[in-house]
Amino acid sequence: MIWEELNSALIFTDLDATNNADVLEKVGAALIKEDYAKDTYVEALLKREAEFPTGLDVDGVGVAIPHTDVSHVKVPGVAIAVLKNPVDFIQMGSDDDKVSVSIVFMLAVVNPQAHLEKLQRILAIIQDSEVLKNIKSVKSSDEIIGLIKNKENTL
Amino acid sequence: MKKKVIVACGGAVATSTIAANKVVELCKNNSIDIEICQIRISEIASNLPADLIITTSKVKKDYGVPLITGMPFISGVNVEKTEQAILDVLKD
Repeated sequence: MIWEELNSALIFTDLDATNNADVLEKVGAALIKEDYAKDTYVEALLKREAEFPTGLDVDGVGVAIPHTDVSHVKVPGVAIAVLKNPVDFIQMGSDDDKVSVSIVFMLAVVNPQAHLEKLQRILAIIQDSEVLKNIKSVKSSDEIIGLIKNKENTL
Repeated sequence: MKKKVIVACGGAVATSTIAANKVVELCKNNSIDIEICQIRISEIASNLPADLIITTSKVKKDYGVPLITGMPFISGVNVEKTEQAILDVLKD
């Protein structure tokens, strides 16, 4: 289960960021500080997001799932950030279609094949706009973990 | 005959893993024998020929092979339409 492995040091309920690069830097720094990712992680994230953007519009809720090559990751993990003010990301699969993102699920992936089920669970959470709206509305990381736990129990 | 399906994304990390699994399930349920090749976008050319390419990033190049976006597997929107399009290419 994802919720069991969430680390509250990697959950931001009211992140103040000026643009998408600022989000990647701040959330990525937490993954480095908590020893999930290597020092090269943030730079690699920024580069990859520019080339292969990860913004998604899920029934009107903007989400981004930034991630990068496994070589920049030490141990797998997920960081979650609810943004104080939405910032624009480019939509996945597009050149320049913007999506106003208010929740970021940053993935630290080590072995995608081995973690297929976890990736699928994260996608199932992201594809549920009701869960996303609830995540946006709560005030603490414990509440976010609780919402994810509830969703996972329905999968 | 076994069909070869290339599933590609930016880094062959997250999105193509999800999309590849969906395609495997879809083909299994429809008794279509496929071989999946999960790679980066930049590796497509060197892995041809193939019967179908599915990507979760934008690809402008024409590889002379049917290309379908696997984005619906990530966003959850329009999944059935995409599955039908994949079956239309692989079924014959």
